[in-house]
Amino acid sequence: MHKIAEVEVQHDIMVANRKLARKNQKMLDNNQVYSVDVVGAIGSGKTTLIEALIDAMDCNIGVIAGDVISKYDAGRFEKHEVPVVGLNTGKECHLDAHLVEHAFHDLPLGDIDLLFIENVGNLICPVDFELGSHMRMVVISVTEGDDTVEKHPLIFKDADLVVINKVDLADAVGADSDKMVNDVKQLNPDVQVIKTSLKTDKGFDEVMKAIEISISEN
Amino acid sequence: MHELSMAEAIVETVLDVAEKNDAQEIVEVTIEVGELTMLNPEQVKFLLGVLAEDTLLEGAEIIIEEVPVEIKCRNCEFTGLANTDGSDHYLAIVLCPKCNERNVEILKGRECNVKTIKIEKSDENA
Ligand SMILES: Nc1nc2c(ncn2[C@@H]2O[C@H](COP(=O)(O)OP(=O)(O)OP(=O)(O)O)[C@@H](O)[C@H]2O)c(=O)[nH]1
Ligand SMILES: [Zn+2]
Ligand SMILES: [Zn+2]
Ligand SMILES: [Zn+2]
Ligand SMILES: [Zn+2]
Repeated sequence: MHKIAEVEVQHDIMVANRKLARKNQKMLDNNQVYSVDVVGAIGSGKTTLIEALIDAMDCNIGVIAGDVISKYDAGRFEKHEVPVVGLNTGKECHLDAHLVEHAFHDLPLGDIDLLFIENVGNLICPVDFELGSHMRMVVISVTEGDDTVEKHPLIFKDADLVVINKVDLADAVGADSDKMVNDVKQLNPDVQVIKTSLKTDKGFDEVMKAIEISISEN
Repeated sequence: MHELSMAEAIVETVLDVAEKNDAQEIVEVTIEVGELTMLNPEQVKFLLGVLAEDTLLEGAEIIIEEVPVEIKCRNCEFTGLANTDGSDHYLAIVLCPKCNERNVEILKGRECNVKTIKIEKSDENA
């Protein structure tokens, strides 16, 4: 004889990741590390921006570099003589809290004040996966097109700081960077949006200041 | 596209619960997927079918319930369903349906929840 039974499960996969993320943040707090999750479009300038921040900021910086397959970005950061862990996601298009927790084991957290986590270039998937960072910075550039914000609203809704990069190329690609700023403000009225060109250093100091302020407010 | 990793996590959860409840077979699984998750329910379903092969889950009916977007307005305190008419998710997270203000918080619509499973078990260990 058999019988059918209904079992209440109520296990939310998203919540499971969020719980891990909170654990990560606690781990960082215990080590007095402030962390910034850097997300954004492919090739928007995430690595270039983090490299410049490493050189300009006056604190001990560490980096977790997410890449689908290569160790290319991790190699770029290593040249700046900071502790780096490269995370290969393999088939995945985003980092998750579990992968980041693994990376913590390979970082000297006690010697780090500020940790940058460069997510995989993607405006869609990272939205679903918090990592446990204190701040999420979204980096896009005008070359993706000035409708990028409209097409990927959720990542901007959750952002703590938005950088619109490569404004030196705006005219060449016919993109209206003010429209991009306004679109972000529609979604996230209080967020700070900074237009930058990392080629000419435009806006860079502002980005650095914004990060320094959120560190001091933490 | 992270449907595969989500489907893997779902299968792991379902099999774990089924084994703990001495299931001989899983008949049905009900999953709630929020409208704002970056998941395509059809793809999740397809991948669950593939991953279920040769497990207790093989042949189970997969029911996916979409969870609509619920918001809270920070301006007028409106709490409830967002306006997703015309299936434009952009609107849903931008405007309060009551006062048209933009400062809204998302309360629901971002879940991927294994809600219930129906299992078949023998009467002795029922
Ligand atoms: N013209 C111009 N080029 C830039 C600017 N910022 C970055 N670049 C260039 O854009 C290219 C991509 O920059 P990366 O920093 O590698 O971009 P990324 O976001 O880390 O890329 P992925 O990790 O592959 O997603 C490089 O060739 C940079 O030199 C800018 O402000 N203006
Ligand atoms: Zn990069
Ligand atoms: Zn592991
Ligand atoms: Zn994905
Ligand atoms: Zn309102």
